[in-house]
Amino acid sequence: MTFDINQLAFYYPMLVLGAAGFLILALGIFRLKSRIYSTVAMGAFVVSFLLILMEWYGILPFSVSAGTQFNGFGFYFALLFLVSSGFITYPALRNIAARSEIFYALLLFVTTGMLVAAFSYNLITLFIAFEAVSIGTYIIAGFHKTKKTLESAIKYFFTGTVATAFIIFGLSYFYLSTGTFSLTGALKISSTPDMLIALAFLVIGFGFKLAIFPMHQWAIDTYDGTENSVSSFLSTGSKLVAFMIMLKVFVVGFSGLDSYVYVFFAIIAVATMTYANVAALSQNNLKKLLAYSSVAQAGYLILVFAVTGYAPGTTAAEYAIAAGMLYSLVYIFMKGGAFLTMNIFKSDRISVDDISGLAKRSPGVALSFSIILLSLAGIPLTGGFLAKFFLFLSLVQGGLWWLAVVAILNSAISVFYYFRVMMFMYWRQGTGEDKFDLSIQNRLPVYFSAIVVVVLFFIFGLFFSILPLVGGV
Amino acid sequence: MNMDFAVWFIFLSPLLASPIALVAGMKKIRLAGIISTASIAISFILSGYVFLTIGSTTINQSYSWFANLSYGVYVDHLALVMVLMVSFVSLMIHLFATYYMKEDPKKHVYFAETALFTSAMLGVVLSSNLVIFFLFWEIVGLCSYLLIGFWYFKPNAASAAKKAFIVTRVGDMSLIIGLAIIYASLSATASDPLSIPYLIQNAPQVAAIMGSGKLALATILILGGAVGKSAQFPLHVWIPDAMEGPTTVSALIHAATMVTAGVYLIARIYPLFTASAYYSLYAVAFVGAFTAIYAGTLAWVMNDIKRVLAYSTISQIGYMMAALGIIGIVGSAGIGPAGVSLAIYQLVVHAFFKALLFLSAGAILIALMDLRDLREMGGLWRRMPWTVTLLFIGAITLSGIPPAAGFFSKGAIVDASWAYYVSSGYNLANALPWVFLTFGEFFTAFYTFRMFSMVALGKPRSYLAEHSRDPPKYVLIPLMALAVLALSFGLFQTSFYRYLDASYAAFTEPLMEEILVYGLIAVGVLLGLFVGTANRWKKLDSTSNRAYRVLKKKYYLDKLFTNIIAVRGILPLSSAFSGFEDRYNSANETFGQDVTRMGSALRKLQTGIIENYFIVIVLVAALVFLVVEIIGGAI
Repeated sequence: MTFDINQLAFYYPMLVLGAAGFLILALGIFRLKSRIYSTVAMGAFVVSFLLILMEWYGILPFSVSAGTQFNGFGFYFALLFLVSSGFITYPALRNIAARSEIFYALLLFVTTGMLVAAFSYNLITLFIAFEAVSIGTYIIAGFHKTKKTLESAIKYFFTGTVATAFIIFGLSYFYLSTGTFSLTGALKISSTPDMLIALAFLVIGFGFKLAIFPMHQWAIDTYDGTENSVSSFLSTGSKLVAFMIMLKVFVVGFSGLDSYVYVFFAIIAVATMTYANVAALSQNNLKKLLAYSSVAQAGYLILVFAVTGYAPGTTAAEYAIAAGMLYSLVYIFMKGGAFLTMNIFKSDRISVDDISGLAKRSPGVALSFSIILLSLAGIPLTGGFLAKFFLFLSLVQGGLWWLAVVAILNSAISVFYYFRVMMFMYWRQGTGEDKFDLSIQNRLPVYFSAIVVVVLFFIFGLFFSILPLVGGV
Repeated sequence: MNMDFAVWFIFLSPLLASPIALVAGMKKIRLAGIISTASIAISFILSGYVFLTIGSTTINQSYSWFANLSYGVYVDHLALVMVLMVSFVSLMIHLFATYYMKEDPKKHVYFAETALFTSAMLGVVLSSNLVIFFLFWEIVGLCSYLLIGFWYFKPNAASAAKKAFIVTRVGDMSLIIGLAIIYASLSATASDPLSIPYLIQNAPQVAAIMGSGKLALATILILGGAVGKSAQFPLHVWIPDAMEGPTTVSALIHAATMVTAGVYLIARIYPLFTASAYYSLYAVAFVGAFTAIYAGTLAWVMNDIKRVLAYSTISQIGYMMAALGIIGIVGSAGIGPAGVSLAIYQLVVHAFFKALLFLSAGAILIALMDLRDLREMGGLWRRMPWTVTLLFIGAITLSGIPPAAGFFSKGAIVDASWAYYVSSGYNLANALPWVFLTFGEFFTAFYTFRMFSMVALGKPRSYLAEHSRDPPKYVLIPLMALAVLALSFGLFQTSFYRYLDASYAAFTEPLMEEILVYGLIAVGVLLGLFVGTANRWKKLDSTSNRAYRVLKKKYYLDKLFTNIIAVRGILPLSSAFSGFEDRYNSANETFGQDVTRMGSALRKLQTGIIENYFIVIVLVAALVFLVVEIIGGAI
């Protein structure tokens, strides 16, 4: 892999983030206020965002080296990662009290890793970027040292290392059967037992991060145990990296496999959705409820692979990938917004009952949270509906009727527990004591995500603008 | 100013003004009327501006909205005439309403709703796509519900609003099925299948793609929608009850913003009707002609001034429908004009005189404390000379007496129906439209002058009638403007026809036919005056008369709808469904409880002990590898 200094320009977005990370660490010596670190981090995200936009409009897709490609698909996800990191930058101020310079530096390093993953097409580069994200998030998860957070961070770390082992094993099988680590360069792909084993190992490995059944159990404890903005980040940015890497690996790298492999993904998708939705029904811990819903959403994302596996190279497959990409965008705001809404509670242990009477205390927050929940459930007038609509449309187009029916039934089940939360908000009287901390910095992210979720619904053409990007996978 | 820009603001202006009027009215109630009236004045000025600048071009701006549906505005001469009429008449009604509603404590709500009503109608007229058309059409329906039930504390008004909403819903259902048929048949070939310009410019191709029979089915279903909105037989039953709303609302509904929408719908996609199989035009012609005479007979026995006017609307709209149908049939046979001009001329004239009649009735009702019974009136001409003179001008226009415009508009339609009879080779069945329309003229003259003489002539028959006074003259200015138009619009008959249809040529009729029609009108007027004034007729107890009872019960159509269809048919069905629903619900409940219990069981797997998680993963991974090995081994 040769490196041409002229092509350094394409790495500016990542370099900006990395440099800002070191800058924050250096500033940490002076013990400045947290607000300054967060502003530096936000500035870096904005600059990087603008740089990527400039590159997107300025250059044509071409390969910098065998392992890296700058194309619309990568740019789109890079922007998504920056948005998901930028989204929690300010809300995290409330959660991260001590040593916040380390938190923000780590957030920047993690995002750098994400951007590298967005543009690379070599399994080794992808793996390293993925590990950069993982290791950074292990530490982020352990911030705010209470017993509960530490326990959840440890669980996350242990399961993460097991996942890494699975991925490395899968990579070696991939290398064994194709003789290369490059996804685009692998020519002699076929359904050999080696290749299937590689597939199985990689699905299990990456599935950890995406929290799909049966590798989801850490997620419930970790999302529940960590601080709200961290759970928001773990369940959006870090999940989407895994989703994007899986798109690259399974759509590009394993494109030559037989179409019956789709059964594998279909089973995972159905099991994940059904398990998580059913388990969420009787859940009384609000954060765990959201964690289960996050697992269920991962199940919907896995449906994309069922379509691309069943009908590879068709319009249905393109629709499925574009729907997955749209889902990712909406997902940042609905899931991230839902977790950030938890900031309005004073206590750390939040049961569904605690939200009673919110509509009386703050109609605006109650309405916004309702919109976010409706979007998660996929009810019209929210972006979540549009994303689900196109995803199910691609299932139908691809001929996977039964899977579409199962997915829709699952959405119906999920409506139950989302509406249960809304019912508590609107119809139950709260106990006299004031459980809410409705300061403006806690309310703003909720309002913001609700507005974005609604606006995304009204941009009907968005899906069709994403569609051409699919070619870059 | 850009003309295209102006077109959008024709309907956007009242649409934006509606919420502003509501909010401003909460602070200062007088503002609401001013804001909504001004917004409609803007619409009227903009329509006038477009009228002066458009020339012989059309404006067609549409933008992609969702998949292969577009939104946008389409303005040709037909739409332009309609927006001019709607905005002008609505403006006059709004001006009068500032007087009529001045005591009402919820005036701001009223004006917000009427502005929305007008903007929805303007939107209906200007839409370039049938889906957007339908959206505005539904807003019209919603506003009619809100406004008819504006005095919702009166039980009659509340139930009338509900009736209007439900009955028009039947028509809307039919309309949307018709649209769906067109969309489904064309979506494979057309890039924008429900675009109005596309449909009317390519009507023959559309008929070829769909097959003329299928197109006729679709157009007849669309006619069903028009029948509901325009109150044609058998969906006219909502309109007489709708008289419970404020009189200015009745004027809006009858003249400008609602019942004309159905006629406009057919006129808008008229080429589809002419291109489809012949029976769709026959359906239009016969529905219209039959309604014209049917509603005319009902108005004989009504003793409520507003109900008489309501039935006259149904009957007059029938003339428009008949004109649309007959002209289509005759025109395809090569005789006379082939276009919508006759119907639209009648529509515009009707809007002028019906608004005039309702507004002057409104002025009378204010003087009489909302006493609507004709039997309690009488002798008002001497007491309210200005108002009743305006009512008289409305009455002669409605009856078609020269020189008022109604003479020209309806005369042409009756002529057309005669030409239709002639062109079919004197086939007796095809004389029916002519018979219906001619006797419709006779009945119209009769009930109009019966009503007029009961209002204006003779001696006052109640205390209120004796002490009634004219309203201040300045509030009658909008009525005078309408009266001038009602009297003089006949001058523009031929130029109006030519504006809509350049190839217009008049019918030539035998003198005898003409004389017969005008003779019947004259007899009708005299008979009406006589029946209205003669005391002997009033004392006669006609309630025992069977024919009278049938009319009074409106041919038992309301009874059929409520007692037979609703009570015997729909209620048992509904209770059967609800029984099923109960059982289904309880089954669901049980299922739901089972699922929730299952959830609790699954939740136990989440032990919080990481060793257990690893055990699950290893087990599942082992299972996966076993499966892979089996599949892999089979290859």
